[in-house]
Amino acid sequence: MKRAVAILALAAALAGGPARAMQPATHILPSSTAYQPQDAIEKGLWLEMDEAERQIRGSKFLIDDPELNAYVKSVLCRAVGADKCGAARVYLIRTPQFNAAMAPNGMMLVWSGLLLRARNEAELATVLGHEFAHFEQQHSLQSFRDIKAKSDAMTWLGFVPGGVIAQIGLMGSVFRFNREMEKRADMSALDYLSTSGYDPMAASQIWEQFRGEMEAQAKADKTLAQPGEGSEFFSSHPNTKARMEYLRAAARRKAPSIDNGAERYRAAIARWWPRLIEDQVKLNDFAATEYLLAGMARGRWSADLLYARAELYRARGKAGDLALAERFYRQSAAADPRLAESWKGLGLVLLRQGRDAEGRRMLRRYLDHAPEAGDRAMIAAMAGDMAR
Amino acid sequence: MRLVPLAISLLALVGAAMPLKAEWKALASKGDVAVAGKLMLATPLAGWNSSTAQPSERSERWTRDGLALNELTFFAGVRDGEALYFKPFLADKDLPKFRSDMLPTELVELFENSNRAILGSSVFTIGKVEPSMLGKYDAVRFAYSYAAQDEGLTRRGEAVAAIVEGRLYLVNFVAPAIHYFDRDIAEIRQLISTLQLRPPKALPAR
Repeated sequence: MKRAVAILALAAALAGGPARAMQPATHILPSSTAYQPQDAIEKGLWLEMDEAERQIRGSKFLIDDPELNAYVKSVLCRAVGADKCGAARVYLIRTPQFNAAMAPNGMMLVWSGLLLRARNEAELATVLGHEFAHFEQQHSLQSFRDIKAKSDAMTWLGFVPGGVIAQIGLMGSVFRFNREMEKRADMSALDYLSTSGYDPMAASQIWEQFRGEMEAQAKADKTLAQPGEGSEFFSSHPNTKARMEYLRAAARRKAPSIDNGAERYRAAIARWWPRLIEDQVKLNDFAATEYLLAGMARGRWSADLLYARAELYRARGKAGDLALAERFYRQSAAADPRLAESWKGLGLVLLRQGRDAEGRRMLRRYLDHAPEAGDRAMIAAMAGDMAR
Repeated sequence: MRLVPLAISLLALVGAAMPLKAEWKALASKGDVAVAGKLMLATPLAGWNSSTAQPSERSERWTRDGLALNELTFFAGVRDGEALYFKPFLADKDLPKFRSDMLPTELVELFENSNRAILGSSVFTIGKVEPSMLGKYDAVRFAYSYAAQDEGLTRRGEAVAAIVEGRLYLVNFVAPAIHYFDRDIAEIRQLISTLQLRPPKALPAR
């Protein structure tokens, strides 16, 4: 995608600047609601961010489900502390990529791709804590000062295609900072996890999972360099084996906890999960999605996961894919016969394989389960006497 | 100072992704005109224009007030293995491909996923999907709506698609949900209902 590549190219350029020494922390921290921007550059940046926030409030990409928003905010508050989390205004954005970002004015964006990828509350808390640490330690402000010294950064951001969400993603996101800043944010996130009673191992686990996904994608796409071997994407942020190792080693020094909130997490995103996985499947990114699904299932394939996997294989449609899709639809329907979409998929994949009578029967079963479906008229025609 | 060269190259990339010269030609509102490689015959409505810039080799794009306000695109004769659109210049993934054995609802999926990729949007919803005709051929008609990331606008669309002799024919109308879609959709449906397909003579089976 054009936007993603352009962002990565810019991110690499922005992250390339030398790390500034931290400013002495004699002033109030940004995580205090009493904090005010300090100088002209920071005030200007806040103005820009306030304007961006106004646009995001009106964006069609905003997930405005109050329960889900309250849940994500509560995870942030548990992680960083109720005294600090008031400084953040969290916005959930319907975009299937893994990303989160926090702007210096306190606006935090959480992409729905993160909600899909986190497997439990502790993993979500890891990324939220990581972003909050960048914010609290004013990393985007420091980077901005560096860029400002070199050129007009806002002119730069104007180049980012994809609108204000992509721009904020660039301003302060998990992919943006130099290695020293990343490590500091990683360590702070680990401290947050530990002091809030979450399993500290979650910190390495979510990054490891994401690294695996990137590797699967790179392996499938010959045009990408192998991760960690000079690819721009990985040189711009240290999602390396070394990172997993320092996170694991540091986690072992923390008090162990078995609380990762997996059940709470699943319950909280359950209503949105079908839409989140649909967005991912429709990205036409077979390798990454297959890896992601296996990582979510970890050997225990639910009806939803089987259905998503079947959709993925049917969409790719290479030799052998339809037979596999058929098997996954059947397993999904067996695990939960109420999942109407599985019957539809099974019907389609049978028709595609020339098994028309059984295919039409399965389509009728779909219509029995989903009498109000938007595609009812078309499916009914296909389930009738219509040939190809 | 690697920012400046990057700025120039990025500008060049963005520039290259756009058509170098798109020209609009007013369509005569009398009589039928051949569209999209002469594989379709349509009766234009008053005030519509055709662009020399196309979203793919096998297509043609019309508008009345500019593409932001109304867009009518004809795809004709798309072959097995081809995408609906040109791949965006900086895209890192291929667009979904048309396959001649696709089922009617799979044509809708092809359209949806191609547009999600082009728009970088997950805010894309398919509405009613129903049997229809395109020319004298069985077809699928579907409604949809979406938002693009850089505008706070919902757009509505309606399209009709058919596979004839293994090739895809699709007509798509899209306009802002506010005012423009409702203003033009009746005329557009009329145009689509009188559209004729002129598929090339069937080739011997391979």
